[in-house]
Amino acid sequence: MLLNIHRVQQTTNTVEEPLDLIRLSLDERIYVKMRNDRELRGRLHAYDQHLNMILGDVEETVTTIEIDEETYEEIYKSTKRNIPMLFVRGDGVVLVAPPLRVG
Amino acid sequence: MEVSHSIKERTIAENSLVILLQGLHGQVTTVDLRDESTATGRITNVDAFMNVRLAEVTFTDRQGTVSHLDELFVTGRNVRYVHIPDEVDIRATIERQLQAIHRVRFFGGRDKGRKEFPRAKHK
Repeated sequence: MLLNIHRVQQTTNTVEEPLDLIRLSLDERIYVKMRNDRELRGRLHAYDQHLNMILGDVEETVTTIEIDEETYEEIYKSTKRNIPMLFVRGDGVVLVAPPLRVG
Repeated sequence: MEVSHSIKERTIAENSLVILLQGLHGQVTTVDLRDESTATGRITNVDAFMNVRLAEVTFTDRQGTVSHLDELFVTGRNVRYVHIPDEVDIRATIERQLQAIHRVRFFGGRDKGRKEFPRAKHK
């Protein structure tokens, strides 16, 4: 499903502004870094100028740092959950990218 | 269809994804708030600023304490996520909302009614 709401009247095929780069990722899986140490990986169904987004098949990762009381070392813990279809409010979005490839 | 009575709100909604949330009237959804609490209930109203009114709400606060509320109002700024129910056809919902707005806008036809975008008197 391709939905381009951020420009209502015309839909150009050229890349003119940064939001157009996101348009190129419509219907693709993307990686979204959010505020409060959260990350989302999902399929981009729609977005708008505020970066409100609709993501399908989403995996949300919340990362927390715990300090070991004895050794004072930092332990990174992450919690994941899956959501079939999610509306994301744009003001929480930090960056949007193609999925990160590990290794 | 529940369309806002304000021209400003209609225009804002028409040009952003909030219009999808407005189309979810009556659906039971879960709203994740910015402060990590969650509210599951029936959407009764969403305005252009994403302020959400829910009814028959199960509210789980940050600590995990569950409570039941008849009504809940969430400020748009405090919304982090809205879980869209599986049964919702997103494209159809948005198109339905846009049609409702256009019906209101063109009410009365060409020569009747107050014009949202008045035609120029002299060309």
